[in-house]
Amino acid sequence: MGSSNIRVLYIDDEENNLTSFKATFRREYEIYTANSATEGLRILQNIDIPIIIADQKMPNMTGVEFFQSISKTFPDAMRILLTGYTDIDALADAINHGDVYRYIQKPWNDLEIHNSIKNAHDAYRGKINLRNKVIELEKTNDELNRFIYSISHELRAPLVSVIGIVNLVKLENMYNSSGEYWSLIETCSNKLDYYIQKTLQYYKNNKAVEEKAEIDFKSLIDELVAVHSYTDIDTNFTVNVDQKIEFKGDLFRIEVILGNLISNAIKYQKIDELNKRVTINVTVKSNLAEITINDNGMGILNEHLEKIFVQFFKSKVHHGSGLGLFIVKEALNKINGRISVSSTIDSGTTFTITIPNAK
Amino acid sequence: MLIDDDEIDLKINSKLISLAKIFDEIVICHSGVEALRYLNNELDQKEFTPIFILLDIQMPEMNGFDFLLHYRELSKSIINNCLIAMLSSTLDFGDIKKAEANPHVVKLLKKPLAINELLTILK
Repeated sequence: MGSSNIRVLYIDDEENNLTSFKATFRREYEIYTANSATEGLRILQNIDIPIIIADQKMPNMTGVEFFQSISKTFPDAMRILLTGYTDIDALADAINHGDVYRYIQKPWNDLEIHNSIKNAHDAYRGKINLRNKVIELEKTNDELNRFIYSISHELRAPLVSVIGIVNLVKLENMYNSSGEYWSLIETCSNKLDYYIQKTLQYYKNNKAVEEKAEIDFKSLIDELVAVHSYTDIDTNFTVNVDQKIEFKGDLFRIEVILGNLISNAIKYQKIDELNKRVTINVTVKSNLAEITINDNGMGILNEHLEKIFVQFFKSKVHHGSGLGLFIVKEALNKINGRISVSSTIDSGTTFTITIPNAK
Repeated sequence: MLIDDDEIDLKINSKLISLAKIFDEIVICHSGVEALRYLNNELDQKEFTPIFILLDIQMPEMNGFDFLLHYRELSKSIINNCLIAMLSSTLDFGDIKKAEANPHVVKLLKKPLAINELLTILK
């Protein structure tokens, strides 16, 4: 039994070679020998062997043919070919197909065999380790996503109860009964809920696979405007949709993108503006949809334009979560969309996005 | 009929519904199992057959969707005279679609329950 525990299978139809190979290398490796491809296969099926050395010239099946025949069933094994003569064509073909890791000329040189086995084993270990790490990483990632998802759900359920209680307080006309305390509770709860919702959106965007559904921009935008303008009835919306043809895309992500932009357009209005307005234009073409969202709000400082899509970036004056536009950008990345922005401070901002039509 | 495992949510929603004076009577069930037993007359205190059920989704043991599987086995006289709305704090698209695809469910309402949304589906 070899000391390094590296298992090597040697296949050759000449018994003398098998005997001398075993005699030479048995101290260093765990050597298995077979006098035909069939016998070699039988051993592989029973014992996990990472390194296979085969003679090219054998009756019934050549070494290369043998390697090709096991490349699907034992893809991880490192395959080394021994050749006494040079059949360049067969060899070049085998190497180019990745069926052979090394080739060694007969008669072999002990050192060359040692080096080849050592290199092959290192490569084998590297391959297996990398695969295990990838599996481990995927598992950890998956767990993290599920954890964030379930924790957000668990956090949100009691929070929603709190918001429900505040609603009851309003209904019973007790909202103003304790100074501004109830309204403070409401503000804090809504803020927390907003963070949780954004976190969920972010992780869902990371996880979910792209799904294609038919999208009717008019009804989608009307719905989103209704949801987001619920808290702010001052803002005047104009929605122009030019959609004559079918548009297919990822409904969840498009909803997230437009929802965040519409919510921002409402949120970053000027407080003293009497005529708050948001204009949304949509043009659907056969290859893409172009959407512009324009507001007459406070605008974005020129030096901030570069940073607004960065996670947790927020301007000093107006406290957002620093997540909205980051999520917009991430979601657009997933569906190969683009976004650009132009803004003039104190007079308004225009976001232009294009989303490919997956029709 | 309200079905929810959360005591506080039951309190909030029953209070809200009685304040809005939409229904005459409310029966409260803490689980899907309890609700099924009530509807099957296995409990003594049954006073009326509900015409509207607000069903929570996330409940231990029997969740809202499990309840619906049992619900459809009930007698036609109950099912044909009753509307179900699911109620949940979920933002999960899958849940929303699943709820709205169920033939017995009118709509999935989001917590916190809003009276005007409830009134809209009852029209």
